[in-house]
Amino acid sequence: MKEGMKYKIERFLKDSVIHILLIIVSIGCLFPLLWMVGSSLKTQQTIFSDMSIFPKNPMWGNFYLAWTKGGFGIYFLNSMLYTVTVVFGIVIIASLAAFAFSRLKFPGKNILFYMLLAAMMIPLPGSFVPLYVLMTRLHLINTRIGYILCMINVGLSFSIYLLKTFFDKMPVELEDAARIDGCSRLGIWWNMALPLAKPAIAVIVIFNSLNVWNEYILATLIFSSKNLMPLQRGLMIFQGIHITEYSLLMAGMTITTLPIILVYLIMQKHIIKGITTGVIVG
Amino acid sequence: MEQRNSRFCLFFMLSLFIIFLSVFLVSCGPNAQNKEQVKSIKVWHWMSDRENAFLELAKRYEKETGVRVNFELYAPSDTYTQKVRAAAQTNTLPDIFGILGEKRDFASFVKSGYVYDLTEEINKDQGSWKNKLFAKALGVNEFEQGNSFEVKPGIYGISIDVTNIQMLYNKDLLQAVGVDNPPKTWRELVEVNKKLKAKGIQGLVSGWGETWMIDCFASNYAFNIMGKDKVLDTIRGKVSYADPEWVEVFDLFREMRDEGMLASGVVTMVNKTAEQLFANNRAAFAFNGSWCVNVYKGMNPDLNYGAMLPPKVSDRYPMTIWGGAGSSFMVNTKSKETQLAVDFLKWMTDTPQQVFLSKETQGLPSNKDSLRDIPMVLSQFASAMDNTTHPNVWGVSESPLVIETFDKGIQSIIIGEKTPEQLAREVQKVKEREMAKKTVN
Repeated sequence: MKEGMKYKIERFLKDSVIHILLIIVSIGCLFPLLWMVGSSLKTQQTIFSDMSIFPKNPMWGNFYLAWTKGGFGIYFLNSMLYTVTVVFGIVIIASLAAFAFSRLKFPGKNILFYMLLAAMMIPLPGSFVPLYVLMTRLHLINTRIGYILCMINVGLSFSIYLLKTFFDKMPVELEDAARIDGCSRLGIWWNMALPLAKPAIAVIVIFNSLNVWNEYILATLIFSSKNLMPLQRGLMIFQGIHITEYSLLMAGMTITTLPIILVYLIMQKHIIKGITTGVIVG
Repeated sequence: MEQRNSRFCLFFMLSLFIIFLSVFLVSCGPNAQNKEQVKSIKVWHWMSDRENAFLELAKRYEKETGVRVNFELYAPSDTYTQKVRAAAQTNTLPDIFGILGEKRDFASFVKSGYVYDLTEEINKDQGSWKNKLFAKALGVNEFEQGNSFEVKPGIYGISIDVTNIQMLYNKDLLQAVGVDNPPKTWRELVEVNKKLKAKGIQGLVSGWGETWMIDCFASNYAFNIMGKDKVLDTIRGKVSYADPEWVEVFDLFREMRDEGMLASGVVTMVNKTAEQLFANNRAAFAFNGSWCVNVYKGMNPDLNYGAMLPPKVSDRYPMTIWGGAGSSFMVNTKSKETQLAVDFLKWMTDTPQQVFLSKETQGLPSNKDSLRDIPMVLSQFASAMDNTTHPNVWGVSESPLVIETFDKGIQSIIIGEKTPEQLAREVQKVKEREMAKKTVN
């Protein structure tokens, strides 16, 4: 009886500690979001004097102002287009490349793969000037396709690495069985490898969506036409050299954050499901 | 099964191709602008808070002259700098652009042939353009004879605004302690602060966590106490930092600490926090740049304040403050529309446009004639332009290690860790070490 009681108390204490820690971490994660939403409802003056998270007189008009002043309409569409095409391109190219690296035997395979890994180490700003020169020479500067190709290139190394690791763990017997059933190499990739790699693809989709949605520096380098710029360009309007329109900036940030939260919520289920699938594949 | 697989793959590849093709077609569609025969120039800038004012000016210019001016904003400034450098390497710089960074960066652009020499244009018609502008605004874009960068002497850029760093006083808080006029001497400042302290009002607030602001404040008083020549001789290594007059400069910070003249936490405070405190009437004085007018307007439009020179300690030398050109534009030598670009810069620095820019952006105009039409506080700032100087125009520069010891040492005095004499000796020691290194090299 005493043992049972002791066990219950121990479990209660353990659970309490874990829950308290998780609550603290959650607050740490959620507070900036709450602060952002709260600040988006204040005025430029009250943002510095009203320390409450949600103001008494919320300025809902800030969202409209941010949308119109920041010219979010066209930027929003641009960002949607860039995110969808880049992520789609990355998933297709990375999965094909990773499958080839994992399953095919060809000369220089390892060297090529290590070169791809090395590309992951180069920070984006380090490749600015050569990228600009290349895009200019290819007449792709200030074009959507130029930006999309660059962004696909940015996301490829990590995605190939992640998918190759996943495909490496896939049992060869499965592939052999598919081949006996008459499946071609592309068929195996499409019917077997891709469905099994869903969790890894979910991670790639989220990671790259976030990356493309929040990207601004490369866009500034490649585009000179305002109409081709992504959503982040709208936010820059509110940040001056010495003065920042905080309430509009926060309203703009709230608007830009919503779609990406939505993507995360949709893909989250796949990731959690993927953890168990991953164990089976392994 | 093989057939089904192939169909799926084909469908996937086809959809991918269609998406790319549509994107490609959208981006490569006929450009309406190319078909037009309107004369136009392109301007690259990084000043996001001036975007609307620039666009309005562009509209007015097109209406007046028929020349279209396309302002293209690239912010933040780091990104802008990268873009300009990359464009220079591919010969795709616009007609007008700005160069951010140190003077040596500016010099390398000039030497590489990217920046048009404006000297002749500026001196045309007996210097009618030059005479409209503050001399200090031109200085920063000028390379003098025998400059260390080996650039052909001349003026290579035009400032569209100027800036300087002064003290601000809160009129309401001073009136609350019976002071109607801001202090003009250090003694008066100490006395005013005693009254403020008695009423529980904080004295001076500034972003001294950003050490360059401490450097700026100390430099003002060094110029006032020992004069420009002695300050520059110290940098040259001819005068010791342990000199009594340098100790006197450091002692001002000791006095501010002992008299409780500084707002709490000033040593670690960033300028944004300092601006919030002053804007919310929580400190009577601030030490800040002219850009603060726009910042305070945003934070508290009802703030009742004025600008003043830092109260002088000595009558021997004038109070000299940091200041000079704000944002500058350069003309691309390789542009096909060089003359159009020069004409636009002339128009932009003309009085009506400068007044408009100043009112819209709350910045100091680079045109002297526009001062009477700008807001009062800005006018107060602008009236001190003749008292300005800047390390970039001294012709000598102090070693970064000495500057660091100097600035951090002053912070130590404020928190009571060091005495002025100790700091003077320490800075001199570092200076000697740096000089010795230079001699060896």
